[in-house]
Amino acid sequence: MIRLEGVKKVYEGIGKSPDILALNGVNLHIKKGEFAFVLGHSGAGKSTFLKLILREEVATEGQVIVNGLNLNKMRQRQIPYFRRQLGVVFQDFRLIPTMTAYENVAFAMRVTNIPERQIKRRVPYVLNLVGLGSKAYSLPQELSGGEQQRIALARALVHSPPIIIADEPTGNIDPELSIEIMELLQAINTVGTTVVVVTHERDLAMRFNKRIITIDHGEVVKDTPPKPRRPAGQVQQTAAAASNRRAQESLRRQPAQHRPHTVTAAGREGRQG
Amino acid sequence: MNFSGFRYLVKQGWHSMITNRLMTLASMGVLTACLFITGVAVLLSINVNNFVNYLGTKNEIECFVADEYPEEQLTALGEQLAALENVATCDFVSKAQAIEEMKAQMGTDAGLLDAYAGEGNLENPLPASFRISIEDVSLLDQTVQQIQSVAGGAFYRVESPSEFSDMFIGLKQVVTIVGWGLVAVLGTVSVVVISNTIKLTVFARRKEINIMKFVGATNAFIRLPFFVEGMTVGALSGLVATGIVSGCYYALINGLQSEMEGIASELISYLYPLSEVILPLLIGFVAFGMLIGSTGCATSIRKHLKV
Repeated sequence: MIRLEGVKKVYEGIGKSPDILALNGVNLHIKKGEFAFVLGHSGAGKSTFLKLILREEVATEGQVIVNGLNLNKMRQRQIPYFRRQLGVVFQDFRLIPTMTAYENVAFAMRVTNIPERQIKRRVPYVLNLVGLGSKAYSLPQELSGGEQQRIALARALVHSPPIIIADEPTGNIDPELSIEIMELLQAINTVGTTVVVVTHERDLAMRFNKRIITIDHGEVVKDTPPKPRRPAGQVQQTAAAASNRRAQESLRRQPAQHRPHTVTAAGREGRQG
Repeated sequence: MNFSGFRYLVKQGWHSMITNRLMTLASMGVLTACLFITGVAVLLSINVNNFVNYLGTKNEIECFVADEYPEEQLTALGEQLAALENVATCDFVSKAQAIEEMKAQMGTDAGLLDAYAGEGNLENPLPASFRISIEDVSLLDQTVQQIQSVAGGAFYRVESPSEFSDMFIGLKQVVTIVGWGLVAVLGTVSVVVISNTIKLTVFARRKEINIMKFVGATNAFIRLPFFVEGMTVGALSGLVATGIVSGCYYALINGLQSEMEGIASELISYLYPLSEVILPLLIGFVAFGMLIGSTGCATSIRKHLKV
């Protein structure tokens, strides 16, 4: 699903400032349906990793392949169509301040020319899924940090992308709300969506039994797979797990017409069956 | 893009105009001010030009008829002169009329000329003449030559205001160059000021553009609302500027007409009436406003689309 092969990224220095080596020889493969944390302190190369897989930057060396598309060879006009296959959640939420919660979520569907009646059906459903059905007509500034992040998550989800990328999704919210957001992401993952969470919060990453890729000084220094599951009888029943299950149920019930969109290498839109 | 998508984007353009009303007002204010100043320069230029043209018609070539020239041929000569290309009017002033004019100029001493007055008075020393006004003063010398060749030996002297004509030609050139130069400079300044204001508006919304890019919006999808916004701001500014310029112009003409008397009021009648300038002004302002508003938006946004 996401593959980095010998990726090196150098930012050219401006004027007399030296070049910056942000990523150096990174090899990585995140499979379809996987949930992975990309962990690293600030300046480790996480943001560059993110910029490369969002095709905001192009690798200086090596290949970046996302959902079968080689991003190094992608033309500028194909980028919007590629990004429609991703759902992105940012640390600073990045909601359009002049649009209501509903409009912010609907916007991600509108850019793909989805008919209005489908938008009217799908958006309230996704808002309910993140528990904000009642705040559909609130402006972002009228919502708390946690609520804004859930709207951002709803926007990332609304067009059913095969990959969700979250950049420090819990960076600007309370610890309790962080767990809630992470559980929502887990629930999204259980229905087959690949989830990549980029974070500097080691504790948060350790709390969930998921793959953790640690980046430091532009290199992958550790790649820890999830621990094998304990036998069914020994699974600890926590409130979090219960809520996780509820979200999973809800996601499984989502309307069939909202299956993930795909984009061919030529940039044409298609629909996954 | 389907029709409902297009409608949505147009609505988004208008919606964001209202949401960002402060920036919209700032852009409109700058655009209106620039259009106003440019409009004033245009009106000034065309009126001064018109006025200078009027002055040009106020000079005359005076052709003095030789005494020995047979009187019965004067009518035919007058017709020939009037038929020349650049001749606007050709008036015959007889010897007796010349004396009467001189008497009028002398006022209380007019009695001194009584001995010479009257038709056919052989004592009258003043010559008969043709007063010819011409259409284009810049062709004065050629016209004088034509008159002399038509008249043959009929005139013993032809007086033309050649110094005036040289000055007039110079003045007209200066007015034209300064007038349109002013319009061009103000127009350019307007374009720079407006595009900077638009850049500021777009810069204030760069995050919004960035978000749109990350959810997969194409450049056209992002650009269209800005384009609609720019065109609407341009058209509205054009309307407002037309209103202000027309109002000021109307007040100026009315004010001058009631204040001025005599020759000055005659000059004012040579200003273009509002009814003649309002439509070209409106079309020009709205078209210029829309063009600059939309292209300004489209170009300012380009740099923020490279994400």
